[in-house]
Amino acid sequence: MKITIGHLYPDLLNLYGDRGNIQCMKKRCEWRGIEAEVREFQLTDPIDFANLDIVLLGGGSDREQMLVCERLKTIQKDFRGYVEDNGVVIAVCGGYQLLGHYYDTDNGRIEGLSLVDLYTEQGSPRLISNIVIENELFDYPIVGFENHGGRTYIGDNQPLGKVKFGYGNNGTDGMEGVLYKNIVGTYLHGPLLPKNPHVCDYLIGSALKRKYGKAELAPLDDSQELEANRYIVERFC
Amino acid sequence: MKNMRVRRLIAVWTAKIVSTVCRLSGRQGVTLAGRIALKIDPRILADLSSMVREKIFVVCGTNGKTTTNNLLCSAIESEGKKLVCNHTGSNMLAGVAAAFVLAAGNNGKLDADYACIEIDEASTLRIFPHFKPDYMVLTNLFRDQLDRYGEIDITMDILDRAMKMAPEMTVIVNGDDALAAYLAMKSGNPYRTYGISEQVFKEQGGHEIREGRFCKNCGARLEYEFYHYSQIGKYRCPKCDFARPEIDFDASHIDMSKGLSFEVEGRRIEADYRGFYNIYNILAAYSAVRTAGLPLDKFADVLRTFNPQNGRMEQFVISGTHIVLNLAKNPAGFNQNISAVMEDEKPKDIIIVINDNAQDGTDISWLWDVDFDRFAQEDIRSITVSGIRCQDMRLRMKYVDISSEMIADVKSAIEARIRDGCGNLYVLVNYTALFSTRNILLGLQKGGKP
Ligand SMILES: [Zn+2]
Repeated sequence: MKITIGHLYPDLLNLYGDRGNIQCMKKRCEWRGIEAEVREFQLTDPIDFANLDIVLLGGGSDREQMLVCERLKTIQKDFRGYVEDNGVVIAVCGGYQLLGHYYDTDNGRIEGLSLVDLYTEQGSPRLISNIVIENELFDYPIVGFENHGGRTYIGDNQPLGKVKFGYGNNGTDGMEGVLYKNIVGTYLHGPLLPKNPHVCDYLIGSALKRKYGKAELAPLDDSQELEANRYIVERFC
Repeated sequence: MKNMRVRRLIAVWTAKIVSTVCRLSGRQGVTLAGRIALKIDPRILADLSSMVREKIFVVCGTNGKTTTNNLLCSAIESEGKKLVCNHTGSNMLAGVAAAFVLAAGNNGKLDADYACIEIDEASTLRIFPHFKPDYMVLTNLFRDQLDRYGEIDITMDILDRAMKMAPEMTVIVNGDDALAAYLAMKSGNPYRTYGISEQVFKEQGGHEIREGRFCKNCGARLEYEFYHYSQIGKYRCPKCDFARPEIDFDASHIDMSKGLSFEVEGRRIEADYRGFYNIYNILAAYSAVRTAGLPLDKFADVLRTFNPQNGRMEQFVISGTHIVLNLAKNPAGFNQNISAVMEDEKPKDIIIVINDNAQDGTDISWLWDVDFDRFAQEDIRSITVSGIRCQDMRLRMKYVDISSEMIADVKSAIEARIRDGCGNLYVLVNYTALFSTRNILLGLQKGGKP
């Protein structure tokens, strides 16, 4: 078995240890004997979504997001096709905002991909905190760190989780992130996946199921991961 | 008028008492002393800094501030000048005020030819209303402590405004850093550059994280003839006329086979410590002093006697174990530290201490942007993770297939490796771990056996 991870525009969208998310997916595949290939795409590279199993869209500064969003317009149709075909996407922070219709900043509107029915508006102050969220889908809480000026509104979509500590999507409605088909969008970095192996395996499992029709993930010794996860939960909740 | 003098006197005396009391009780009271002095006399920083007879230098930039500033101080002192500086690295408004206040005499007057002050970039806008420096050394701009500043763009914006607040201040800038150089070049301030025009490293680390790969002027991807490390190197924009500036103080004939050695302005400069990045620190201090017109004939002596302190490659010997303590608070700094550790080819143990207090930037995501996989080497005998976020650090190592031992308590970790290690120990710490770890090491060194 093999999965191919597409890392979109790491030159521009690489805030907050996104490399950790890539590394985590890669290692957790390899430790199970699943081949994992990572392909990095630069801004001008053509992207063949048909050959990708997981797409990672990271965070960048507003200025860098503006640069990326110009380019995203040209791949919007292919990206949408991939998502509607249950392609797996993990979008963090700025990448999460780009999933929606737009992000209104003080310096103008950043057009999004409109892959998910959500939008973002700049607010003040920045929401900066450790964060713990919960979702019945997962056996363990999801922990991370958030740092965003944008307030995201996901309408009727499913959130990734309910906020137990921290701010979440907008600091008001108690929701964090979004789940839509096989998209996970979230403000959580830290990076997200190493301390949340359950989320990482959810992504890998979804990708394998889509590609091979079944996903039997051999269990790994996650004691260190879960200990780190529990440390954050116990410290802040 | 008389009232103001009295106020200043009370401020100076109170600050001195506060600082002494704190020191006696084993705490660093510098910031508190400065804060109290400013509260008693809000004009105290402006008044005292105006008494500096010659010039005021400030040192800004993400990495290398403290070492550069300490070198700058030693260099100016070697010219027989008196100076004020913030050696302790307290580099925000209160810390800077404290440096001047604690240097003042009991008569409330300052007797100093020069001031050398390192300033936290974000604090420039709060400090420059009190005094306008004559020179700013700008070392580099890397990603640092994200949640305090937001993003590197914000830091650049702050520095840009700071330079415009002091239009006559000459900026002495690292020309090899496209971000720092861009700021200086577009500021309208006079500027001088330092840099290294020859390629030093054959191998050009492919996946190392690089800030500012894109032209700040037009957004195009910068082209590099070579990198020294991170985004530091020889660059030009293919689309617009932005390019690495002419280098005024150019280090050449770099030799790192035995300590550090290079040439600038036809002089051979040698230093007995490790770390390529220290060439930039030395060069920055050298360029600043030369820009100010001092002859700097005794620079060789300065370097010979200069011992990087405050946990910048600071050395200890405890129970026969040779220990090097080094601060690393962001990916660029940590990667450079790893290079410095690897320059030592002897077997070694490593302790990594990571805290997430406010001053560290509570976000520790940056650990994942450090190339820890380079520690997968024979001569690394053991890796111990410690500090508040030792769990995260242990995971970080796990995901490059390197096992580590977790000992959360720093003192226990150090004692364990002194007991069972190979006698050559590197302790790499982030910001708030520095002070406490250094005290532990000083205590152990004084007390003999752990
Ligand atoms: Zn350009």
